Amino acid sequence: MGKEIVVDPVTRLEGHNVLKVKLGDDGTVQDVQFSITTTRFFEKFLEGRYCEHIPRITPRICGICPIPHHLTPTKAVEDAWGVQIPPAAYKLRQLLQNAKQYSSHALHFYALAAPDFLLGPMADPALRNVVHVINKMPDVGAMALKMMDFGQKLCQAIGGKSVHPIVAIPGGMKKPLDEDVRDLFLKQIEDQVEWTKKTVDIGLKVVEDYWDVVANVGVVPTYYVGMTKNGIHDIYDGDIRIVSPNGEKFDYPPQKYLDALGEHIPEHSYATHMYYKPAGYPEGIYRANTLAMINCADKMATPLADEALQAMRAKVGNISHHTFAYHWARLIELVESIEVIATLLQDDDVVNPDCKTLDVQPREGNGVGITEAPRGLLLYNIWSDAEGICKKANLLVATNHNIAGIEKTLMHVAKQVFEDKALDGLKLPDPWIK
Amino acid sequence: MAVKVAFLQNSDCWGCHQSLLNLHLGLLNVLPALEIVYWPAVVDFKYDSLKAREDGEILVGFVEGSLRTKHDIAQTKLLRQKCALIVAFGSCSCYGNVHGLANQWSKDNLIKRKFSEVESIADGSGGEPTINTPGFADKIVPVDEIIKVDAYMSGCPPKPEAIASAIVFLLGQKPFPMNDLAFCNDCSIKDNCLLDKAKLCFGPITSIGCSLKCTSNNKPCVGCFGPAKTVDSRAEKLNNMVNNLDILSSGDKKNLYEFLPLFLNVPLMAGFDLAGDILKQVKKRGTLETHLANLPPTTEEIAGKIMGYLRDHRDFTEISNVCDTCPRIIGSKSTMTRVKRDYEGLPNMEDCFIEQGYLCMGPITKAGCGGMCIKVNSPCTGCYGQTEWGVNQAERFADTVLKGFNVSLSKDELLNQVKDHLGTFEKFTLAANRNFKGGE
Repeated sequence: MGKEIVVDPVTRLEGHNVLKVKLGDDGTVQDVQFSITTTRFFEKFLEGRYCEHIPRITPRICGICPIPHHLTPTKAVEDAWGVQIPPAAYKLRQLLQNAKQYSSHALHFYALAAPDFLLGPMADPALRNVVHVINKMPDVGAMALKMMDFGQKLCQAIGGKSVHPIVAIPGGMKKPLDEDVRDLFLKQIEDQVEWTKKTVDIGLKVVEDYWDVVANVGVVPTYYVGMTKNGIHDIYDGDIRIVSPNGEKFDYPPQKYLDALGEHIPEHSYATHMYYKPAGYPEGIYRANTLAMINCADKMATPLADEALQAMRAKVGNISHHTFAYHWARLIELVESIEVIATLLQDDDVVNPDCKTLDVQPREGNGVGITEAPRGLLLYNIWSDAEGICKKANLLVATNHNIAGIEKTLMHVAKQVFEDKALDGLKLPDPWIK
Repeated sequence: MAVKVAFLQNSDCWGCHQSLLNLHLGLLNVLPALEIVYWPAVVDFKYDSLKAREDGEILVGFVEGSLRTKHDIAQTKLLRQKCALIVAFGSCSCYGNVHGLANQWSKDNLIKRKFSEVESIADGSGGEPTINTPGFADKIVPVDEIIKVDAYMSGCPPKPEAIASAIVFLLGQKPFPMNDLAFCNDCSIKDNCLLDKAKLCFGPITSIGCSLKCTSNNKPCVGCFGPAKTVDSRAEKLNNMVNNLDILSSGDKKNLYEFLPLFLNVPLMAGFDLAGDILKQVKKRGTLETHLANLPPTTEEIAGKIMGYLRDHRDFTEISNVCDTCPRIIGSKSTMTRVKRDYEGLPNMEDCFIEQGYLCMGPITKAGCGGMCIKVNSPCTGCYGQTEWGVNQAERFADTVLKGFNVSLSKDELLNQVKDHLGTFEKFTLAANRNFKGGE
C-alpha cells in the first residue's frame, strides 16, 4: 500500500488550502494535489450591481491586499466608461498602492516567512510563529511592527480604512491626503528607510545561511506573469508581461489579456489553474508574485531597489527559477515601495484637491483594469450597460495566478524529498532562535 | 495566566485578522494574555489538533468568515463544541457580508458562471471541482443559524480598538494603569479648570500618565487611562455635576458614552454586542455584575450615577446609528431633489450626503465605526449591519430620510430611482434577511 501525506490546513498563508502527497509502494511520488477549498462567487454576484459600487465590494476578496482590489476594478470601470483621471489622482493611487505593498511585504517577510528561517524548519510547530519571534527577538519584532504600522496607517490616511478602503471612485479619488497628515508621514521616512535596510540585511543573512536550500530545493523552470510599464517594474499601471522559462519576454496590453492568460478548471481545487495560452496547459503553467515580477522587470523604478536587483541577478542569474528566492525578490520590492513612498509624499499632487474628474458618464462597454497586488497580477474585466450597471465580470486574482505554479513546484519538491532524499544532505544553519 | 483562544477562518478575506494585527505595537500588550491554540493564518496547528481538544477546553473561539462551504459549517460546529464562548467576529460571521448577495442565485448558477462560463477558460475544461473539495452550501446563512453565538462583533472589519477591547474584556483582564494620582495633578490648564466652566471633565478620578492631549486642546478628559487610586479634590465638583446630567450639552452627553467604556475598559456598546457588556448589564438588570476592583468611593459614586443616568435615559438607546457619530450637518443648505450616483460630481465635506443627493446608509446602520468612510468623503454603505431587522430595509431607509432629512422626493420617486436595491440597502446583510427567497 502506498502512503498519503496530508497537510490540513496549510498554515501561515492567506486562504484555505489542503495539500495531499500520494506515494506509491516503492516510495515514488504518484500525485500532488494542492486544493484550494473555498471560493465565494464574486464573478456572479457582481452582476446587477452599480459599477461604481464594485470597488466597495471587491476589497472583501482579500483583507491583506484590499487596496489593489479597490483600485483595479475602479480602473476597469474607468476603462469601460472611457473616463480619464486627473494626474493628482494617479499619484495618490500610486502612493496608496505602494503603502500597501510596503506593509504587506513586511508582514509576509516577518509574520509568514521568517519563523521558518529564524527558528529553523525542524522547530516545534507550536513555537514556529511570529508571536514567538516577537517574544524572542523583541527589537526585531518591534521594528517589524512599526514598519507594518506605517504602511497600514498610510493606507488608512489615504484610503479611509486600511482594510477595505473606500476613497477611489470612477473619475479619481474622493479626497486628497491632508497636508498636516502628509507631513506626519514624511517625518517618519528616514526611520522607515533605515528599517527597510535592516530588513534587507536580515534577509541577505538568511539567504546566505540557507544558500544550500535556496540553490538546490524547488528550483523549477516555469513561465512567469507580471506587470511592467515600458519594461520597468510598476505595481499600479502597465502592461501584462510574460517571461518564458528561458527568458523570452512577451507584452500584452490589459485589454488583450485573453490572448495571453488561459484558465484550466482542475478537478481538485476551487482555485483554477492559470497558464500562458500560446504554450497550452500544462506546459504553459506560470508563476506569479515577487520572483515573477523581478523576472519580468528590465529594471526597478528606483535607484536603491535597482542596485539590489543587480546584486541578486549577479548571484542567481537574469531569470531565477529558485522558489526560495521569492523572499529575496520581495525585499527588493520592499525597498522600491519605500523609495516610491518617499518620493510621492514630497509631491504636492498627493495633497492636491483637484483629484476627481467631475463629469463622469457611464456608457455601455467592456473594460479591463490591471495592477500588481503584493501576491501577483490582479485583473478585472467588467461589462457595463449604458446606465453603468454591471452585466458581467471576470476576475483573475493574484494568488489564483500562482496556484498551478505552486502545485508544480510542490510536485518537484516532493520528488526531491521522497525520491531523491535531497533533504538528507542539506546544510542547514544553527537557528537564530533556539 | 494566559487563556486559550482559537481563531477560525471560514470563507473570508482575512481582514478581521488583519484588523487585529493592525494593533501592531498594541499587540505586545494583548498577546501575552493569549494562548493561541488554533489560527491557521498565523500559527502551525492543524485541524486534527483542534479535533483532539476536549470539549469546552478553549475559553473563546472567534469565528471569522461566511459559511459558503460544507467544511465551513462543519468546522464552525466543531469550534462551538470546543469553546466555552463563541464570538461571531466580523460582518461575514454576523450577517453573511457581501457574499450573501450570492443568495440571489441558485448554487448551480453560481457554479456554472465560475467553473464553466468564465471567458478565460480556454482548454475545454470545466464543471464543479469535486475531488478533495468540500462542496458548497445551498445558500449563505449567518453563523447563529447553525450554532449558538455568545457575542457579536460586527464591522467589515471591526476596528482594532474594538477587537482589543473585546478580547481584554472577555478574558477578564483589567490592565488599568491605576496610578496613585489623578489626571488633575498633571493637567496643563488646571488654573483654567474646565469644571469651573461647567464642562464635564473626568480628570479628577482618572489616572495620570497620558500625553494630556485632550486638555492641551482645551477638551475635557474622557477617562481613557482608567481610574486613579486616589481622587483629586475637584472630584466633589464633578460628583455634584453628575447629579444633574439633564442640563448637559449634547457634546457633553456624547462624552458620557465615551467615558464609561474607556474608563472601565469595557467594549464600546455599539461596536460590540454582548450580554456581558457593562452598559447592557446596567440596561437589562439595573445592576452591575462586572466587578469593579477597589475603586475609591467617590469614583464609584460618580460612575454609578452615570450608569444610572444612561440606564434611564432615552439617549442611551438612541445613539445607535452612524449619523449619531457623523460630523456632517443634517438640515443643511442642501436638499435631495433626485438620487445621485456616487461617481457624479464631488460632494462637499460639510453637508449630509443624503441632503446633497447621494445615498448614504448611515441612518439605518449600526454605529461603531466612527464614520471612517465619511471622513474620506464617501457615504456609508452599511458594513456594521442594520439597526433594525425583519423589515424591508429599502422602505425603512426611505421612511427615515423622508422624515428627518432635507429630501424633496416622494417615497416612490426615491425608491424608483435606485436601480440596485439589494446591493444598495442590503449589501452586507442579505444572508440575514429571512424574508428573502432568491435562488433563481
